[in-house]
Amino acid sequence: MVWKHRNLLDVDVLSREDLELLLDQSVHMEDLLNRPIKKVPALRGRMIVNLFFEASTRTRVSFELAEKFLGADVVNWSVSGSSISKGETLRDTAWTLEAMGADAVVVRHPMPGTPWYLKEKLKRASVFNAGDGAHAHPTQALLDVYTAWKHFDRSLDGRKIAIVGDILHSRVVRSDITAFATLGAKVTLSAPGSLMPRGHAHLNATYQADPREAVKDADMVYLLRIQRERQQDGLFPSFEEYHWRYGANEELMRYAKPGALVMHPGPINRGVEIASELADGPDSVILEQVRSGVATRMGLLYLCMGGAEA
Amino acid sequence: MNNILFRNVRVFDGKNIQEGTLDVLMSQGKVERMAPSLDACEDVRIVEGEGRLLAPAFIDLHTHLRDPGQVHREDIFSGSRAAAAGGFGVVVAMPNTAPPVDTEAAVAYVLQKGASAGGARVLPAGCVSKERKGEEMAELGGMAKAGAVFFTDDGSPVKGVRLLMNALLYARDLGVRVMEHPQDTDLSRDFQVHEGRCSALSGMRGYPAAAEVIGITRGIALVRETGCPLHLTHVSTAQGLAEIRLAKAEGLPVSCDVTPHHLVFSEEDVLASHLTASFKVSPPLRSTEDVDALWKGLFDGTVDAIATDHAPWHLDDKDLPFMEASFGIASLECAFGAVFSAWHSRGCPGSLESLLALWTSGPGSLLPSSEEYRGMLREGSPAYCTLIDENRENTVDIAAWKSKAGVTPYQGRAFRGWPVCTVVGGTLVHDAL
Repeated sequence: MVWKHRNLLDVDVLSREDLELLLDQSVHMEDLLNRPIKKVPALRGRMIVNLFFEASTRTRVSFELAEKFLGADVVNWSVSGSSISKGETLRDTAWTLEAMGADAVVVRHPMPGTPWYLKEKLKRASVFNAGDGAHAHPTQALLDVYTAWKHFDRSLDGRKIAIVGDILHSRVVRSDITAFATLGAKVTLSAPGSLMPRGHAHLNATYQADPREAVKDADMVYLLRIQRERQQDGLFPSFEEYHWRYGANEELMRYAKPGALVMHPGPINRGVEIASELADGPDSVILEQVRSGVATRMGLLYLCMGGAEA
Repeated sequence: MNNILFRNVRVFDGKNIQEGTLDVLMSQGKVERMAPSLDACEDVRIVEGEGRLLAPAFIDLHTHLRDPGQVHREDIFSGSRAAAAGGFGVVVAMPNTAPPVDTEAAVAYVLQKGASAGGARVLPAGCVSKERKGEEMAELGGMAKAGAVFFTDDGSPVKGVRLLMNALLYARDLGVRVMEHPQDTDLSRDFQVHEGRCSALSGMRGYPAAAEVIGITRGIALVRETGCPLHLTHVSTAQGLAEIRLAKAEGLPVSCDVTPHHLVFSEEDVLASHLTASFKVSPPLRSTEDVDALWKGLFDGTVDAIATDHAPWHLDDKDLPFMEASFGIASLECAFGAVFSAWHSRGCPGSLESLLALWTSGPGSLLPSSEEYRGMLREGSPAYCTLIDENRENTVDIAAWKSKAGVTPYQGRAFRGWPVCTVVGGTLVHDAL
C-alpha cells in the first residue's frame, strides 16, 4: 500500500485502503502525543500556511499543533470576510503565498469549492481543505472515523451511525457520510424537513424525520450544532421547540444500543442539540474527538508531505 | 461585391430541406435565384458548397452585448462579429446594460452602432420598466418606433404582476412581444446552483424548479387573462416546459426558448468540475431529467427557439471561487456546434429540419411583422444565410474568439458540425470555409 495523495480536498478521493493506512498512521501519531516530548522532525524545514477566511479556533489550533509537532514552520494568515472585501482576489493571495515559499496551504473559506480553486492556482504547494462553506470538511471526517474506529475494535463494518441536527448547513455531515460509508458503516440522518437539503436522496445515507427512528439500535449518535441565525431565517420556531423535538438527551439515547457513543464536532450548545448530562456522560467521546483531531491531522500531513521528500 | 453565388448546396429554407443540390445566387441584398445550376454573372463571389447545407442565417433572440456601459466585457462590434462567426445573422441585444436601454434614444444607439458593426445585424430589445426597476412602464411606444423588437426586464422578471399585465396590453398594439425572464426571486433568493443533487452535495443555496414554474404560470395566467402574446425565455425545467405545453394546447399565444447550455450541460458538470465558476449561470444548470425534458420539448412543438443567452464576462468577473463569480455563460461562437454535436450524440432525437428551424424560422416568427428577414431562405427573401459543414470538427478555443469573453465552460471541448460562412444582408461577413 502506497500513499499517493499530496493534497486533501475531500474524503471522496480516499479509498478504503487509503483510509485504513491513515488510521494506522494516526495511531502512531497519537502515541507520540502521549510522550513527554511530542515533537518529531518529520516536516522540519517545510513551511505551512494556515489560511483562514473565517473564524475557526479549534480547527486552526488543531492544525497548528499537528504542524508544530511534526516540526514544520507555521504561518497563520487570517482574513476576515471574503477575499473581495479584502480587495485582493484569491488567486493573487495564492500566488503571494507560493512566492513566499509555502509548501502547503491549509484553507478554511466560507464559499464551497474554494480549496479546489486554490489548488488549481497553486503550482507546487499542497492544499488541505479545513472546511469550505457547507460543502466539505475532510479532516473532521478523518477524526470522526478515527475516534469511532478505535472504539469499535478497528472496524466500522455494519455499524449504525445516526446523525441528528442541522444537516442543511453542515460541512461536517457531507464528508462524514462519505468517510463512514467508505469504511462500511450505515448512516441515518435526522432533522426537521426545513433543516434537510431538499436533494438529500442524493446523499449516501437514509433519512428519518423522527430522531427516535434514526437513533434506533445505533452504535453511535452524532449531534450537529444548531445556530441561532437559522431560527432567525425561519427554519425552525425556537431553540426550546428544537430541543424537545430533536435535542439529544438520555431519553432519546434509550432507543440506541446500550453504551452507544455520543459525538459532536463542537462547539456544543448545551440544552439545544445536546443535553448536558449526555455531553458530560460516560458515553460522550467529544473531548476524545478533539485529541483525535491532532493525531489524524499529523497522520495526514506526514503521509502527504513527508515520505519521499522528507 | 454585391453578388454571391453558393454552388452545389443542399438548401434548408427555414422549414424543409429541398431535394438535391442547388445553386443559390444572392444579389442586391436578396436571394435572387435558386436552381440546380446557375451561371456565374459578373462581379460575383463564388462559394463552392460541395454538398454542404445552406440554411437561413441563425437568429438569436437573447444576447448580452454589454453595450452601453460595460464594454470591457463585450461591445456591439465584438458581439456582432462573434455572432457572425457563430452563424448568426441577427441577434437581439438585451437591454440590461449600464444604463439600461429604456428610451427611444438608447434603442437608436444600439441600432446605429450595430449597423456599422460588420457582423450579425443587431436588433435592440428595450426594457419593460424605466431603469429596469420594475416600477413604471418605460416608453414602449417610442422604443418600438425606434426599432425595438422585444420588451424585457431580462436579468430579472418584471417585478410587479400588474406592470407585466399592463405591458402585455400596451405592447400588443405596438406589435412587439414582451419577453419574460421567469423566476420567483423570493423562492430562489441567494441561489448559486440547482436545488436538488447539486445543492445537496455542494452545500450551496439552490434555485428550485418551482421558482421557475411560478414565474411561468404567472405569465401564462396573464396571457389567459389578456389574450396578449408573451415570450418566456431561457426555460430550464421539465415542469416549466410542461406548463408551457399545456398553455399552447389551450391555444394561448405563449412562446419560449431554451439555451444551448441547458441542453448541453447539467448540474453534474458543476459537480464534476468541483464547483468551477465557468458553469455558474442563471437559471442554473439543471438535473439530467430536466435536460432530457428540454430535448423532448425541442421536437414536440413546445420550444420555439434556441437562444444563447450569451453572457460574456471579463476574466476578473469569472476567475473566482464559485460564489464570488458572476452568473452567465458565453457561447455565441460555439453554440451551434455544441447543440448539433449533442443532438448527434443523443442519437438524433428529432429531424434535422426541426432542429434547424429552432435557430431560424422559429425565432424569426417571433420578431415584429415589420421585420423583413424572418429566418427563411427562399427566392425573394432577404439575403441572410449560413453555410453549415456538418462534418467539420473543431475544438473550442476562447483565445481565438471575436467575443471579448474571458471564460466559457465549452473551452477545450471538441464538437462536430459548424457554421462556416455567414451572409448578412447580402454581405459575406464570415468565411471560415
